[in-house]
Amino acid sequence: MSRDTRRNDFTRRDFLATAAKGAGALGLVVFGGGFAFVSANTVKSRTGETIGPFEYDPTKHEYLYLIDVSKCIGCGSCVRACERENDVPRHYFRTLVERYHVSRHGRVYADSPNGGRDGFDAKDIDADITKSFFVPKLCNHCTNTPCAQLCPVGASFVSPEGLVLVDEERCIGCSYCVQACPYGSRFIHPVTHTASKCTLCCHRLSKGLTTACVQNCPTGARRLGDSKAVGDEVVEIIATSNVRLLKPELHTEPKCYYVNCSQEVR
Amino acid sequence: MEHTKHIWRISLLLLLVLIGAVLGRHFLIPDSFGKAGFYRYDALVELMGKEPVHGAPDSCADCHDEKALAKAAGLHRSVQCEVCHDVLSSHIRDDDKYADMAINRSYKLCAYCHQKLVARPAAMVQVDIAEHLELAPGDAIPAEACLECHDSENIHAP
Ligand code: HEC
Ligand code: HEC
Ligand code: HEC
Ligand code: HEC
Repeated sequence: MSRDTRRNDFTRRDFLATAAKGAGALGLVVFGGGFAFVSANTVKSRTGETIGPFEYDPTKHEYLYLIDVSKCIGCGSCVRACERENDVPRHYFRTLVERYHVSRHGRVYADSPNGGRDGFDAKDIDADITKSFFVPKLCNHCTNTPCAQLCPVGASFVSPEGLVLVDEERCIGCSYCVQACPYGSRFIHPVTHTASKCTLCCHRLSKGLTTACVQNCPTGARRLGDSKAVGDEVVEIIATSNVRLLKPELHTEPKCYYVNCSQEVR
Repeated sequence: MEHTKHIWRISLLLLLVLIGAVLGRHFLIPDSFGKAGFYRYDALVELMGKEPVHGAPDSCADCHDEKALAKAAGLHRSVQCEVCHDVLSSHIRDDDKYADMAINRSYKLCAYCHQKLVARPAAMVQVDIAEHLELAPGDAIPAEACLECHDSENIHAP
């Protein structure tokens, strides 16, 4: 083989392939610019200034939710309040109340007729029921979200105060997030055809109000805390009592804590 | 020097791709995208800016102070007015009454909280409604059954 032919080994095809790789790398730099400063919990802009649209500063809060199962009377006031506050379509729920009947042999009978919105009727179960209770459920606003992570268009996101929210304008309704949520907290809105979920009433929080469900709970079974507030009662209860999370084995790090909650609840 | 033509061509192609990428990025990515994370920051502003529908916990007291005071002294102190009636924004606009507030007189309202159920904590005051009304078995519950004996005063401050 002569030197000449060896030089010609670098064919036009090789050249194009190398060029394409180079262009790809360049493209990554161009497009990657958007990714470089991603950090879910900062509201520092690119130029370093802190952005807060309201007097309310989202970086100064981190909300926690506490549910005392022993206090829930299953009245469904929270479900009705949520529906009115957030204009939730009928037969869809951003929060709901489940009823559990557990037999002596550990069989679980769970029901939630219409999410508890219309209250509960007595239920006859042909078994030796040894414990029974109501469990309110809502989005756990996970720290390690399975849902927001996989949104292909950046419509699901985690706000600076740790709320998992949906940008309706960007959402393409692919429902990946609906399937990814291990707690079933999301649904596709029948009218807008976008993902919809509990916002923890962030429009109320930003104005110094509490959520509709917490405010309308007659027994204090639902409570809202703020781990960045000084001397917060809910934070104290979480720190000092026997609380549990739902599906902790998934390491989603939920922000909803349950007290007096039997292990049948998942 | 016969290959310079290829180099120019490919450079031009690359330049076009680059311009396309920059333009595409400019038009496809919304303004506030990436301000605080991999999302449109304006979406957060929009969500946070929505008007509340329920009022603050004591918002009815501004105009119905008698009722509010009576309620605060009774056992329904922990029950929000809006649970039994309707939301503040259905009644008040710009600090003035613009529509009637709903009044729920159905026994179902009371039943949400007071119907006897096994799952309900024993500490909650419960009645077996059929028994409490002394209905014959199979009788339907009259729609406004509870108001016959539990009048407005009693309901607001039992
Ligand atoms: C436990 C449920 C309940 C709560 C809580 C409640 N209401 Fe009522 N309210 C009723 C019912 C039922 C009536 C209808 C009474 C009747 O027609 O006899 C009523 C009637 C009224 C009326 C009409 C006048 C009257 O006395 O019948 C006003 C005004 C009123 N409520 C205001 C309030 C305000 C203000 C609050 C909060 C401070 C409140 N209510 C809380 C159930 C409730
Ligand atoms: C800005 C003052 C104002 C506020 C705040 C207000 N109301 Fe009223 N409300 C009125 C007026 C005025 C009337 C008419 C009173 C009358 O006719 O005697 C009224 C009447 C009512 C009635 C009787 C039915 C009707 O519409 O005429 C109910 C029930 C009632 N209010 C409930 C509430 C509840 C519950 C709240 C809190 C969520 C509330 N109101 C907040 C001013 C207010
Ligand atoms: C949102 C839930 C809720 C609704 C709706 C509700 N109540 Fe109550 N009720 C309570 C709570 C909570 C108490 C207080 C129990 C306690 O403190 O022990 C109570 C207490 C009472 C008491 C006093 C019980 C006692 O210990 O003497 C009476 C009577 C009563 N309610 C009647 C009614 C009637 C009648 C209605 C329908 C108009 C009604 N309630 C609607 C939650 C509710
Ligand atoms: C025939 C009259 C009458 C009717 C109708 C009536 N009640 Fe009563 N209710 C009473 C009386 C009287 C008491 C008071 C008993 C007491 O204080 O111990 C009472 C007490 C209660 C209590 C408190 C029970 C307790 O253990 O302290 C509740 C809750 C209650 N009623 C709910 C209702 C509901 C819900 C309805 C409608 C389905 C209703 N009542 C209809 C007469 C009535």
